[in-house]
Amino acid sequence: MKTVKISLLSKVLLLIVTGLFLGSLYFPMWQIDLDAPQYPEGLNLKLYANKIGGDVEIINGLNHYIGMATLHTENFIEFKILPYIIGFFGLFALVSALIAKRKFVATLFISFILFTILAGVDFYRWNYEYGHNLDPNAAIKVPGMSYQPPLIGYKQLLNFGAYSVPDIGGWMLIGSGLLIFIVLTLEYKWYKRFMKPKAALLLMPIFILTACSGNEPKPIKLNVDACEFCKMPVSDGKFGAEIQTQKGRYFMFDDISCLVKYCEENESTKVKSYYVHDYTQNNQLIDATKAFYISGGDINSPMHGNIAAFTTFSDAQNFGDKLKAKAISWNEILK
Amino acid sequence: MKTNFLKITSAVVLIAAFMGSCKPKNTSDTVSGDAAQKAYVAPGKYDEFYNFVSGGFSGQLSVYGLPSGRLFRVIPVFSVDPEKGWGYSEETKPMLNTSHGFVPWDDLHHTEMSQTNGEVDGRWVFGNANNTPRIARIDLKTFKTAEIIELPNSGGNHSSPFITENTEYVVAGTRFSVPGDYENGDVPINTYKENYKGHISFVKVGKEGEMDIAFQIMTPGVNFDLSHAGKGKSHGWFFFSCYNTEQANTLLEVNASQKDKDFIMAVNWKKAEEYVKAGKGKKQKVRYAHNTWDEHTHTAKSEIKTEVLVLDASELKDICYMIPCPKSPHGCDVDPTGEYIIGSGKLAALIPVFSYDKLQKAIKDKSYEGDYGGIPVLKYESVLHGEVQKPGLGPLHTEFDGKGNAYTTMFVSSEVVKWDIKSLKVLDRVPTYYSVGHLCIPGGDSKKPFGKYLVAYNKITKDRYLPTGPELCQSAQIYDISGDKMQLILDFPTIGEPHYAQAAPADLIRNNGQLKFYKLEDNKHPYATKGEKEAKVVREGNKVHVYMTSMRSHFAPDNIEGVFLGDEVYFHVTNLEQDWDVPHGFAVKGADNGELLIMPGETTTLKWVPDRVGTFPFYCTDFCSALHQEMQGYIRVSPKGANVPLHYSLGTNFPAGK
Repeated sequence: MKTVKISLLSKVLLLIVTGLFLGSLYFPMWQIDLDAPQYPEGLNLKLYANKIGGDVEIINGLNHYIGMATLHTENFIEFKILPYIIGFFGLFALVSALIAKRKFVATLFISFILFTILAGVDFYRWNYEYGHNLDPNAAIKVPGMSYQPPLIGYKQLLNFGAYSVPDIGGWMLIGSGLLIFIVLTLEYKWYKRFMKPKAALLLMPIFILTACSGNEPKPIKLNVDACEFCKMPVSDGKFGAEIQTQKGRYFMFDDISCLVKYCEENESTKVKSYYVHDYTQNNQLIDATKAFYISGGDINSPMHGNIAAFTTFSDAQNFGDKLKAKAISWNEILK
Repeated sequence: MKTNFLKITSAVVLIAAFMGSCKPKNTSDTVSGDAAQKAYVAPGKYDEFYNFVSGGFSGQLSVYGLPSGRLFRVIPVFSVDPEKGWGYSEETKPMLNTSHGFVPWDDLHHTEMSQTNGEVDGRWVFGNANNTPRIARIDLKTFKTAEIIELPNSGGNHSSPFITENTEYVVAGTRFSVPGDYENGDVPINTYKENYKGHISFVKVGKEGEMDIAFQIMTPGVNFDLSHAGKGKSHGWFFFSCYNTEQANTLLEVNASQKDKDFIMAVNWKKAEEYVKAGKGKKQKVRYAHNTWDEHTHTAKSEIKTEVLVLDASELKDICYMIPCPKSPHGCDVDPTGEYIIGSGKLAALIPVFSYDKLQKAIKDKSYEGDYGGIPVLKYESVLHGEVQKPGLGPLHTEFDGKGNAYTTMFVSSEVVKWDIKSLKVLDRVPTYYSVGHLCIPGGDSKKPFGKYLVAYNKITKDRYLPTGPELCQSAQIYDISGDKMQLILDFPTIGEPHYAQAAPADLIRNNGQLKFYKLEDNKHPYATKGEKEAKVVREGNKVHVYMTSMRSHFAPDNIEGVFLGDEVYFHVTNLEQDWDVPHGFAVKGADNGELLIMPGETTTLKWVPDRVGTFPFYCTDFCSALHQEMQGYIRVSPKGANVPLHYSLGTNFPAGK
């Protein structure tokens, strides 16, 4: 195979990659956030290339209740070699930019991917080790319980919610990987072979988004949160409604009719979930698609949409009789 | 090329941004719209309930109103209080006397109101001293500590001051097992297993509230934690939770957490009474103080007692029975019907509920699985009504609403969990801020709870209020429990560190014959001065007694001369006012002491030893009238042997002297 020289843009990108690699040594690579009721400020474990930082002492103090081993930087050989590996990648990128050979860049990319996989496996191994290797004399023993933090994402461990994600340094490495990938894409003209590389790239964030946004309604703070459509504060916990968009944003409404009008006027907003107040309760949001509705009669809602929602069919029927209102379906309401 | 690059970059930024935003939300949105209305008590209006909250390491007892969370009074109990002269005035010093002498501080953990037929009666509230073991009785007519009794053979009086349903007894169980006071305590600590003993005390409460240790029950050495009396059908029984059945004497956090089950000790105190009558108790030589307050002399008396009757639980087989209870039980609560006994293993992942009927049957059938230091251990399953599964983490204490529901605090998961006693199903849970310890429902441990409010007393405050440096107040939360769902309605800060609290309908206490002031004609204080004409100064050797009165807005006398360095001056101040809410105060410059706060009709004494020659002002410290600032006087101190005659006056000047 002939040696192909890379373009100037690629060289610049590779120089940026060098900067990102070397710069990442000064920032935490990974963070594990711990949330518990009695730690409203949260506890944060920060993994640097060369040390463990953050609230490690407090976390060690807590871990003794459940018999988890304490964390000490010197117990991990990884913290000794990791800076050299990342430094090596930085130099590799620099050399690639100087030598400017396409094959060199490809080697860099493949070795970096291999490193990432290895690092992931290693991280998982340690998480497993710490989560399972518990002191049998621990004060709190929950049968069958292990305390392995998630590799990435969120997990509930007793009263702590553990949230494991890359930190600044980690993002810099991810950025480096992507940039190298872009260089390769440019140099090997891969984008020509794929039909819609852009679409593929745009799909990624959406995939991640749907992976981590919850499916819970956000409680409406009565008299505090305002209706997205009529801008009046939501004050009645019987007629309010809420939508969650595909992007994970929440919009609140003081009347089901406001929700309907808002959706009409903002067709571009992709709604993921609809919620409505259960008429029989105060400020209790339920899944709108599964609710039963009555409309008209003596119902008097804040913006005179006069639609009431119920969790159960029998409630809807009873109140329908009482309020002389007619049954209506969610699809009819939305039109 | 460029646009492609930009898009990729923006995609990366987007991912980063969204990863950050999908962190789980915390639970800060639990206060709903009408909370303020529910906790609001308009100016000039009264609260529905009195709330008697232990002051923990402040040693005092605070009185709040519910649902407003307003603080009405801090009653000094086990700690000195210079503000009120408690432990500083000559009259109150004996109240803090113990077999160790004068003890100025203690740790008041639990409060318990007196009951009649298992219902709160509003006569007294009891408090325990956890450090130097004592029980105090506070009179709710005067809101004053009326009696304190010390407990021998004890270390750390924690499972106290819980009472039987007619206030027959108030109990105390030793937290730290120790060698009995009647034995040699100078033994190696690692001989815990052979030399250390538990003693639980049954203190008889008389008609007027007077306390007397009826008997103690000696048990194997364990840590007794909390207790509650049986009621209704289980009246006659008392239940004590105990941990450290491993009998560790060091690093208890590990060594006392090894066994899967510790015990709840069921005590048949009626049986114990029979044994006492039958002469089965052993009289042991001990020393303990018994301090009483006399409402007529406004003076406390301290008496040292030297004997206590001890029953040995390992010899008298049918007094005590051990019920296995998972993982270091803490709270030990009995439901309003008296049938269900709830043990809260603070390290357990479930809550066991025991049945009194099954307990009786198991005892009858001798359904034992063994023996613990001579006390029969019942089979867990034969006493168990059922277990509440997955209630939360770190269950501590349970109270009841009288509608078949129990409410248990969860320290580790920081929440209150409501569950059905019979079906053992969890019905609701609300977060607390943060790490709740005790809880209180008015009448919540009696036969007749008033299940309208629930107060959670928390151990961690963190971000609930404006920060005040490293040391923060403690925080309590009030929940409305009248509906199906518990609703948070108010946060309020508390005094010291509250542990247990009690609450009762306001009318029960307001209408119990509240004392508004002391009648002057009933004042039997030996140094009382019942009119300004009787005011005088009397010298007895180097002791100078000042018979002083206070009245808006002067002291009589207010000019005193003829006091010498080396004298001990006793200001016996009588407040001559005969109206509600007109206290006077008294303070004199340089006193190494507190102030006096004298209620109308009361006589109180401040001892003052001048340290130098000179003229010393004294004044009224409690703003009493428009001319309060004029309410002052002088006392002149001359060198020893000086030719200054003893003089005292009000409104007239002495004959010209030196």
